[in-house]
Amino acid sequence: MAIFGTAVRKQRTNPPHDASGLADIVLPDHEGVEHRLGEFWRDRPAALIWLRHYG
Amino acid sequence: MFCRDHAVQLHRARAELDRAGEVVLIGQLTPRHAAHFRRRAELTWPVLADEDRASYTAAGAKVATANELFGPKVVAKGVQASRRSQVIQTRTIGHAAQLGGVLVVRPDGSVAWSHMSEDASDNASPQEIVSALHGGAETATAG
Repeated sequence: MAIFGTAVRKQRTNPPHDASGLADIVLPDHEGVEHRLGEFWRDRPAALIWLRHYG
Repeated sequence: MFCRDHAVQLHRARAELDRAGEVVLIGQLTPRHAAHFRRRAELTWPVLADEDRASYTAAGAKVATANELFGPKVVAKGVQASRRSQVIQTRTIGHAAQLGGVLVVRPDGSVAWSHMSEDASDNASPQEIVSALHGGAETATAG
């Protein structure tokens, strides 16, 4: 790693074909309420959008 | 800048996105940071906080090189984004080189579509996300 934590070598993205590795991850929301990611696509398709950062 | 620009673009398409499916945003650090970002970007969707970035890893997101963060292409697109959304870069909160992306997941848990960022300026458009939620997109991965 180098300045600002950048990668020295170019990395490849590696999105999964199924979300089983994500479903059981539990994260707090903006109010501190914990959510299991799998709950978001239980009833309808869900778009999970990872932000770069909050800047 | 790209992060807030992306949020502005998503917010403008919120009616279409909400009709098409569920939307959740995931950022770094703490719920307090998530709340501040959500309020400032005027978002109505949940914003989750992933302090150790485990979900970024599980989603296949990558860490940028210096060129993918500050290269000429990225800077030029940043100027365009700033003009489009009337936002400016503020203090970076979180791992500065962590890139994001989007996964659209069907109720059966399969990933219908993905767009993981190849550089700091590379974000899926709201229209692409709406299309993927409607099931109209083929599975495609950036890069």
